[in-house]
Amino acid sequence: MPRRIMSNRAARLWVVLLTLCFNPALQAALEQPTGGLMIDNFDPETGKRIIPNERCLDCHGDEKQKTDVRDDGTPVKIFVHKDEIEASVHGKQSCNNCHVTIDRVPHRKAPEVIVGCIDCHRDTWVQYKDDPSGKHKRLKVVNEQIDSYMQSIHAQPNSLDQSRTNATCYDCHEAHNVGELGSIQRAEKRLKNPEVCGRCHEEQLKAYRTSDHGKAIFEKGDSESAVCSDCHTTHEIDSPETDKAKLAITKNCGDCHEEEQRTYFDSYHGQVHRLGYTNTAKCYDCHGSHEIKGEDDPTSEIHANNRLENCRVCHEDANDNFLTFWPHGDADDKEKYPGLWFFKVFMQALIFGVMAFFWVHVMLWLYREVMDRIQGKGFIEDMDKPDIVYFRRFPVAWRWIHGLFAISTMALILTGTTLIFSHTGWAKAVVVFLGGPLMEGYIHRTAAMIWLGIFAVHLAIAVSNIWRKRGEFEWFGSTSMLPNMKDMRDLRDMFKWFLGKGPRPEFSHWTYWQKFDYWAPFWGAAVIGSSGLMLFMPEKTALILPGWMFNIATLVHAEEALLAAIFLNSVHFFNVHFRPERFPMSTTIFTGAIPFEEFRHDHSLEYERLVASGEINNYLVRRPSRRADLAASFITSVLIMAGLALLTLVLIGLITSPS
Amino acid sequence: MKRDDTMSKHVRNLLLAVLTLLPAAVMAGPSGQALSFTCAGCHGTDGSSVGPSMPAIAGMDPEVFVDAMKDYRLDKRNPSIMNRIAKAYSDEQFKEMAWFFASQRLHLQPQVTDAALAKRGAELHQKHCEKCHEEGGRPGDAGTLAGQWMPYLQYTMQDFLSGKRDWPRKMKRKVDAAIEDDGADAVSALIHYYGSQH
Repeated sequence: MPRRIMSNRAARLWVVLLTLCFNPALQAALEQPTGGLMIDNFDPETGKRIIPNERCLDCHGDEKQKTDVRDDGTPVKIFVHKDEIEASVHGKQSCNNCHVTIDRVPHRKAPEVIVGCIDCHRDTWVQYKDDPSGKHKRLKVVNEQIDSYMQSIHAQPNSLDQSRTNATCYDCHEAHNVGELGSIQRAEKRLKNPEVCGRCHEEQLKAYRTSDHGKAIFEKGDSESAVCSDCHTTHEIDSPETDKAKLAITKNCGDCHEEEQRTYFDSYHGQVHRLGYTNTAKCYDCHGSHEIKGEDDPTSEIHANNRLENCRVCHEDANDNFLTFWPHGDADDKEKYPGLWFFKVFMQALIFGVMAFFWVHVMLWLYREVMDRIQGKGFIEDMDKPDIVYFRRFPVAWRWIHGLFAISTMALILTGTTLIFSHTGWAKAVVVFLGGPLMEGYIHRTAAMIWLGIFAVHLAIAVSNIWRKRGEFEWFGSTSMLPNMKDMRDLRDMFKWFLGKGPRPEFSHWTYWQKFDYWAPFWGAAVIGSSGLMLFMPEKTALILPGWMFNIATLVHAEEALLAAIFLNSVHFFNVHFRPERFPMSTTIFTGAIPFEEFRHDHSLEYERLVASGEINNYLVRRPSRRADLAASFITSVLIMAGLALLTLVLIGLITSPS
Repeated sequence: MKRDDTMSKHVRNLLLAVLTLLPAAVMAGPSGQALSFTCAGCHGTDGSSVGPSMPAIAGMDPEVFVDAMKDYRLDKRNPSIMNRIAKAYSDEQFKEMAWFFASQRLHLQPQVTDAALAKRGAELHQKHCEKCHEEGGRPGDAGTLAGQWMPYLQYTMQDFLSGKRDWPRKMKRKVDAAIEDDGADAVSALIHYYGSQH
């Protein structure tokens, strides 16, 4: 509108208002609206024509004439439902708030449908986000969806016509019928979702119609069944070839099939997937995607006759035994999976039993040593007479074996627990750091081979040692690792000592806790090693074992590994390094030598035996060099720090575990 | 900022009005009005024409006004004299005049009409014309028909039908349909209907 007219009108308004103030008698006469003047059809601010919706609906709302003819003679649909628009979230909007190119009615030239939804929704949200009435709060979600859409494949330029996007807002949202949350329009829109997507994705719609999801929608009108957007998301649509889309689809399957997702995440397939990688089997790899059906349907991908084909996509040599694998085996479901349940209960009882016993042992021991030190008792280093004589406790072979065993065990714990605790952020970060799940697998298996190799070498050395001394070796003597009755008595007496009801027991060459630390890996090697080998070579394993052994192997491998990880990095560390007499650490396992006085205190019976037999001099060595001492301290410190870090990660994983 | 400018102008005008107690309209400089004085000779005072062949332009849609003036300037619309007049004005001046006439009330003169024809015309209008010429052809974006001088409407329809003036989009189709309904009387009936309105 020209400025002069605006000023003119504004000035008149002021005069009218002034007159009103001065002469109330005129009010009645002025109540007659100034309507009827042509300029009232124009916005005084912008000078733009005001086009009432009724004016548009004169033509576009005429049910008798739903189509018109274009200038070139082709028919064009022009009809919109007046009631639908008015009931929609945009019911109060003017038509040309969205159809911004429409400025003349009747249209002087064939109008183009140019509608942009984004700016208006963004601007309105900025304007009203602090509005206390909350009337526009839904716009927050709308704006989040806009952001997602803008990143999606739908917002990319179409490859056949770069002037348009693959899909835009009103291709999916029925432009004039956008319902409020909870409205009938929304419920109807949900049922229509497959057909809306199917306008472009025809093949997928065709397959979907045959699926259980599709039948529920089309034949039963069951809006609870999954529609396209439930799996593919609404606005974050990406090509299904991308990891982002694959991960989203698995997540979305779980929105409805919660139990199935939980059990899937317990499997190796699911653990790797939950770390953010898609190289293992996902829901649709086994179940199919658009044509998904129940297992009783012979055309279903998970029907017994078809299932093996899917296994063979990855496990090329999979045999029939793979069919007895429980992809959703649930160790908590005693009815359906009693074997798995039993192993879980057994392993957990073992973990709780061992840890409860030894943590009590640790706490009481700590208490006793602290109390003794307060009273000036126990083994206290004599600062005036530092040890210059050491006792040689471990030959070189054992020291190397322990060092490699510790490093490989820690490598196994780090890589293995990322799968058990794949829900955590640290697990995902570790896998990224190591270079992905494949590299992590290589590291884990390499460490496992080293671990088992060391175990075998140690066994060979031990057996040959015993064979050499076969004439005189006392199986249950004081230098044997085999548990004996004295160990039971020592255990009892240690608890008495802890409680102040007796003296500290006298130990011979090996204490009972050292024997436990030694034998635990035997059990561990049997359980972790055998289950690990099964999982390492599934196709070979399936030649002789049924598929459900993978379920049991996965479970016991993880549970036993957890037990080892927690025990070694807490109880073993305390017994060897952290108890006050030893704090902050013992480097004996790396130097091979223990300060003589400390040896005499900890292994007094062995000392007396060696003195009596005169063998003691064979074991006395010089104090390790300063350099050897520093090196041993350094290695021990690093391993302790690494162990404590691993323990922390494991505890974080356990505490935050969703199941 | 625009709003602030407008507000400050309002305040200024208010102060002036209070101080002088004079109509602010006088001070605002009636440029559109001044330009429109020259139109009064033919189109009547403030655009309410009194000559039967001269269209009333008071209350006319301002964009239709500008469209018409531009068409005249381009020698369209089978002009008699308006093409010469239109060439003397700038687009901005067209707009000023358009707003002036849009701000006027249309004072209609009663015309002699045939009631039966007008009745039939009303039916034809409803069927073929109402969607564009809404409310019986009241002033709007499709021009002013209701109460318009009948001889002017007659000339205009002759121009359309004889091809001297371009049909607006879709109008030919509609007029053809009306003529198909009622033959040659259709246009006359419509004109009597429009002339019968006050």
